[in-house]
Amino acid sequence: MKYKTHFLKHDFSMLAILVIPIGVAVNFVGGQTAAILKLPLYLDAIGTMFVSMLCGPWVGAAAGALSNLVSGVINPSVLPFIIVNIGVGLVTGFLANKNMFSSWWKWPISICIISAITIILSAPVVVLLYGGITGGGTSIITAVVMAAGVNIWTAFLGTEGIFTVLDRILSFIICLSVIRCIPPRILIKYKCGCTFIKNQNKLPPM
Amino acid sequence: METNYTEQIQIYKTNKIAALYPTAKLIIVVLYIFCTLVIGTVRITSLSLPLLLIPEFGIVVFLLIVSEISKNGYNILKDIIKFAAIIFFVQVFLIPGGRLVFRIFFLTLYEEGIRSGISLAFTLLNIAGIFIWFFQTTETKEIIRALEDSGVHYKAAYIMLSTFQMIDVLSQNSKTILNAQRARGIETDGNLLLRIKAFIPVLLPLFLTAITGVEERVLALETKGFLVECPKTHLLNVKRSGHEAYAVMVAALCTIFILAGRVMLCFLS
Repeated sequence: MKYKTHFLKHDFSMLAILVIPIGVAVNFVGGQTAAILKLPLYLDAIGTMFVSMLCGPWVGAAAGALSNLVSGVINPSVLPFIIVNIGVGLVTGFLANKNMFSSWWKWPISICIISAITIILSAPVVVLLYGGITGGGTSIITAVVMAAGVNIWTAFLGTEGIFTVLDRILSFIICLSVIRCIPPRILIKYKCGCTFIKNQNKLPPM
Repeated sequence: METNYTEQIQIYKTNKIAALYPTAKLIIVVLYIFCTLVIGTVRITSLSLPLLLIPEFGIVVFLLIVSEISKNGYNILKDIIKFAAIIFFVQVFLIPGGRLVFRIFFLTLYEEGIRSGISLAFTLLNIAGIFIWFFQTTETKEIIRALEDSGVHYKAAYIMLSTFQMIDVLSQNSKTILNAQRARGIETDGNLLLRIKAFIPVLLPLFLTAITGVEERVLALETKGFLVECPKTHLLNVKRSGHEAYAVMVAALCTIFILAGRVMLCFLS
């Protein structure tokens, strides 16, 4: 693949413009559905990951930023987490650029990298702005651990860390199964879509 | 009276404060957040608590009442207040450190905990409150129209506008799919693993139907000249009410007053 451009104008094609709203809406609805099913996970970055996997880092970052701005309309306390969503979008996009989702042994590595970025970016927000409490189901565990005298950073990393990894694994499975269902004739129109087509030999030369 | 379509979709507001131009309201929001951060550094009483944040929250309540949205505003504010209360109590009772203030049975209050509890909870309430006021008095259509007027690219404006529509559509669809999958026998209650398993058959069809529709929408937009670089016509017009200058002036004066007070305190102590 010689054809590699990282210019913003090329990234934000017509398809990308229309995929961003879907990504944001899926973030939003995914969070809602997780709440309806009473899952202790947020699942609010599925759309961001999906958009990044198809359209690259910059479009993904835009989707992440927009989704936190939109949910900030209803619940302004999620606004500081905008950096987490932008970070997830960028990292997933760069991984897609580097062809890190093409075979099965690369998936665990990618999930680890994405989870690590999520935890590293969200820990300062939660600890410094909200004192370790995010209002979700895991907060109770964090509070109990903190009451036992554990350092606030350790308490957060120990409890939220496990659920973040679980969250990302589930998000990744959903993204990948959706992409597997999209026919190659549509996939090829997206910037990073070619990497998900199984029969690489039939691809036209770029 | 007979009205045509363009007149029907215009937004009319009777309240003077709610009818301010979105950009003016945004300036007020930014100034208010700045004031909150400044006031948060003022420490009073012997425990050096940032108590002035509590009366500042009165301004948000006042704005909500004056803009005649106290009912809607309260419904949203309720959740934020609960969240802030949880943060406050966790901080007050669980953070050991500093001087012991007093002790009843098993509850112990420390200086450090009270300080950070009040600071975190009321900063959150103040900043979240002003955002609630902004988004409750302004419709998203208005915000985006004002953004486009102030120089944001029309593609970016379209992304934002279509996001809000997409959320409505997908929320509706997700409820339908959840009920349909329940009818087919997928269990949505039970232990954690069962509920996680139920999540996938709800989200997959939702995602796929949305993605397959994209191609057609690209064609539809391109045939209507979306990509043509030329001045666009707008159906919705946002009017300035004429009181923007006064409102921004009052907000700026308050900010300068608060900043001056803070600097004075520095010299006094």
